[in-house]
Amino acid sequence: MPTLPEYSLAGKVAVLYTAGGDEAPVLAQALAESGAAVFTIARRQELLEPVLAGLKQYPGEHGGIAADVGSGSSTELGKAMDALGASHDHVDILVNDVRSMFAQPLSEISIEEWDQIQSRNVRAAFVLCKELGGRMRERQYGRIVNLVSLLAERGMVNGSAFAASQAAVLSLTRSLAVELGTSNIRVNALGTGWMTAEDIPLEVQQEELLVRYTPLRRKGHPRDIGPLLVYLASESCDYTTGQAVYVDGGLNAHP
Amino acid sequence: MLETFSLDGKVVLITGGGTGLGLAMVRALARAGANIALAGRRAAPIEGAAQEVVDLGREALVVTTDVTDSKQVDQLVTTTLDRFGHIDVLINNAGAVQENVRKPLWDITDDEWNLVMNVNLSGAFFCARAVSKPMSDRGKGKIINVASGFGMRAGRDIYMYCCSKGGMIQLTKVLSFNLARYGITANSIVPGFIPTTSTDSEIRSTLPRSGDFLPTGKLGTPEDLGPIAVFLASEASDYMTGEMIIADGGGLAAGITPTGHAPVVALEL
Repeated sequence: MPTLPEYSLAGKVAVLYTAGGDEAPVLAQALAESGAAVFTIARRQELLEPVLAGLKQYPGEHGGIAADVGSGSSTELGKAMDALGASHDHVDILVNDVRSMFAQPLSEISIEEWDQIQSRNVRAAFVLCKELGGRMRERQYGRIVNLVSLLAERGMVNGSAFAASQAAVLSLTRSLAVELGTSNIRVNALGTGWMTAEDIPLEVQQEELLVRYTPLRRKGHPRDIGPLLVYLASESCDYTTGQAVYVDGGLNAHP
Repeated sequence: MLETFSLDGKVVLITGGGTGLGLAMVRALARAGANIALAGRRAAPIEGAAQEVVDLGREALVVTTDVTDSKQVDQLVTTTLDRFGHIDVLINNAGAVQENVRKPLWDITDDEWNLVMNVNLSGAFFCARAVSKPMSDRGKGKIINVASGFGMRAGRDIYMYCCSKGGMIQLTKVLSFNLARYGITANSIVPGFIPTTSTDSEIRSTLPRSGDFLPTGKLGTPEDLGPIAVFLASEASDYMTGEMIIADGGGLAAGITPTGHAPVVALEL
């Protein structure tokens, strides 16, 4: 099957941060399948293990560490950077999967919960963009992809804290694209709709109102976004920057 | 999962594929395995592109077509189906600009308005309409509209081009919403400033001469669109519809401003 060499990530070092959810293993596999060495930073140990297990089938120097880099603790960031530095002397690609979900009515959201969701999503993305974006700038090359929910663009009942975190990451994406553009660093967002990494039969999925409301009548699977993630992380993605590309079954174009 | 990037054996119908951005997309599509039907007003450019497709080991069909004439568009689709049996992907790429792009509003004639709107927007509609039934009969198909950054923001004294390209972005959304139930997706490619040898000289005079005013610090090349077109034409984009991929050097993220010039303001006490 002919595919374009433009999609290859051979020889590239990718750092993948996951704040939560069940999609990181497939995303890591997409990067590895394209030839990248993948170093994963997971907010919790339980998020790291399935990623590392899923990468065993792919050749390459893959690794990772559990570190809460969004906590604001320099120890956590330092721990992650030390572990990264032990296996790689540079980074070409940063993927921030910062969609740790949270949905509560406005009156029920505590200040602590608000801060927590902004930390694990927005602050983690900022901290890693600052640290690794700086290293990319020194080498005059980099690709940063921030995964966001389409709630970055839309409102949802019970979604205030989470949606605000996604909009913040999208805004960060735009400004960093402009600020880092002349350093040959591209910064884009990959937007997602309703997702699950579980393989749920279509007829079961369609019992859910939100699935029937999605034009393509199914939930997204991380396999649906893996190829686009690879393109946005590739050298050939050279003229697209500061943008969000949505892969959401048609939800964003929907009334 | 990356084998989904392949277009092996897929049939792509592209309008205006003989020059510029269209030709660069044709080359990438053929390298990825696609057989290609090329439609264009003039025969010579699409014949040249078809030869390149054949040289890459794929099949090519040339159909001279004026996309503003819906009868010719219907015939184009019939001819393509006769040759290949089905159409997997339509790329609405044919585009026109007005003769004197810098004309003030009060000097624009009805004919000038109609020409650009007809080629860019009505042509895309006619082509989408013509492929929609055969695609829905198969329960699958992809429509790709090549719009422009001018479809998102205004250009100085550029009326028809901005309005028609904005219309293509909205056409994409309406197609996506209504054709999803038939297994057909629709997405846009939104190029920013990408000089081509075929860019109309009048339009070119209005474009930045270098990338100094873009966040990337450089202008794009037609080849930038190749992997985007292949992605949107392939199964790798099956869950994406009603959306766009913008390739504009960061212009829309910021606005066309001098790169690197911005105030530094300290935190308030």
